[in-house]
Amino acid sequence: MSDTVTIETRKFMTNRLRQRKQMVIDVLHSGKATVSKTEIRGKLAKMYKTIPDVIFVFGFRTHFDGGKTTGFGMIYESLRYAKKNEPKRRLARHGLDEKKTSRKQRKERKNRVKNVRGTAKANVGAGQNPQD
Amino acid sequence: LLARGKGGDEVLESDLPRAVALLKNLQEQVMAVTAQIQALTKKVQARTYPTEKGLSLLEVKDQLLLMYLMDLSHLILDKASGGSLQGHAAVLRLVEIRTVLEKIRPLDQKLKYQIDKLVKTAVTGSLSENDPLRFKPHPSNMMSKLSSEDEEDEAEEGQSGAAGKKSANGAVKKYVPPRLVPVHYDETEAEREKKRLERAKRRALSSSVIRELKEQYSDAPEEIRDARHPHVTRQSQEDQHRINYEESMMVRLSVSKREKGRRKRANVMSSQLHSLTHFSDISALTGETPHLDEDQNPIKKRKKIPKKGRKKKGFRRRR
Repeated sequence: MSDTVTIETRKFMTNRLRQRKQMVIDVLHSGKATVSKTEIRGKLAKMYKTIPDVIFVFGFRTHFDGGKTTGFGMIYESLRYAKKNEPKRRLARHGLDEKKTSRKQRKERKNRVKNVRGTAKANVGAGQNPQD
Repeated sequence: LLARGKGGDEVLESDLPRAVALLKNLQEQVMAVTAQIQALTKKVQARTYPTEKGLSLLEVKDQLLLMYLMDLSHLILDKASGGSLQGHAAVLRLVEIRTVLEKIRPLDQKLKYQIDKLVKTAVTGSLSENDPLRFKPHPSNMMSKLSSEDEEDEAEEGQSGAAGKKSANGAVKKYVPPRLVPVHYDETEAEREKKRLERAKRRALSSSVIRELKEQYSDAPEEIRDARHPHVTRQSQEDQHRINYEESMMVRLSVSKREKGRRKRANVMSSQLHSLTHFSDISALTGETPHLDEDQNPIKKRKKIPKKGRKKKGFRRRR
């Protein structure tokens, strides 16, 4: 039973259009539970000599019987490019992006907008429900 | 000649009239052949058959055949005057020429079509109407002729037929798609049923039961194919397809309930010994009604209902 966590990368590609390096990550962790994403980011940062802030990993699935997990990883050239190219949900996982409105608010606004016609739709603000 | 090789006076006497007749025949034929050859030689010397600009392969063949004839006649001469053919130098030469001729034969086969074509052209003087060579591509016709002075190319366009694209002088023509004539769909229920039966028959013919019967009763030797993997199933292939897609697109696909059920069933089936006693349906050949497998679903036609709002449009389940 090995105690170390080994990370191997496959299908490595430098995506110049999105200013990042993307790869498939294989984590070998026999005898342990699935490794957390922050730990994997740390190890990748050491492998590729960057800071873990520009590394985004996702999609980890552990194979049957444990021991091996496969996921994807992207290493951006800078945080600016990361904010530009990465989807909001993954940025939110790192705390770099916050959703302004909640889902409930959005749906309520939509329903309020349905009652109004034309350019007045744009003026429908939040919290305009008549309070009883 | 024939009589000399055989012993015995009785044999001599019976063969003698035959030998005389044959000799006379031989004499006549030799005279005819000599006359023909003399005529040919005169023609060749008069240069009526110039071969400088001809096919070198045919020239080589001509020379080889002539040498063959010379060596053959040498041999016949020697044999007729009583010599033996054992270790005769001409025999070796003959063998060599024969080998070369046989090696030339496939080349000759390949050229046969073109030679025939050339000869026909030479004889009739022009290409026939439906000569497929007329439809060879004319790349010069595909360039747009911007200047209006290229009138002389019009004459060539008559030859191009269907293959060449005619471009108008000056403007580039808009692409018009070909109007295909719609054909009336005539398939009745009976025909559909027949087609279904045909397909089921074909499938049944390649089932394991029939294959084993064939092996048992046919005289052909038993074929052992190099098996890729005994346990490669449809499910494992589809899984592999899915994994390849996920890794190349770097996305995770969701697994529907149906897919989950299929996977679970595949795992269960392979771990048990069910498949030992399950044979495919050969009712198409025996004429009975199609029976249902106990554990698997009844064979029914799957209707393709397009799902609305499919998120991952790139991944298609392999059918």
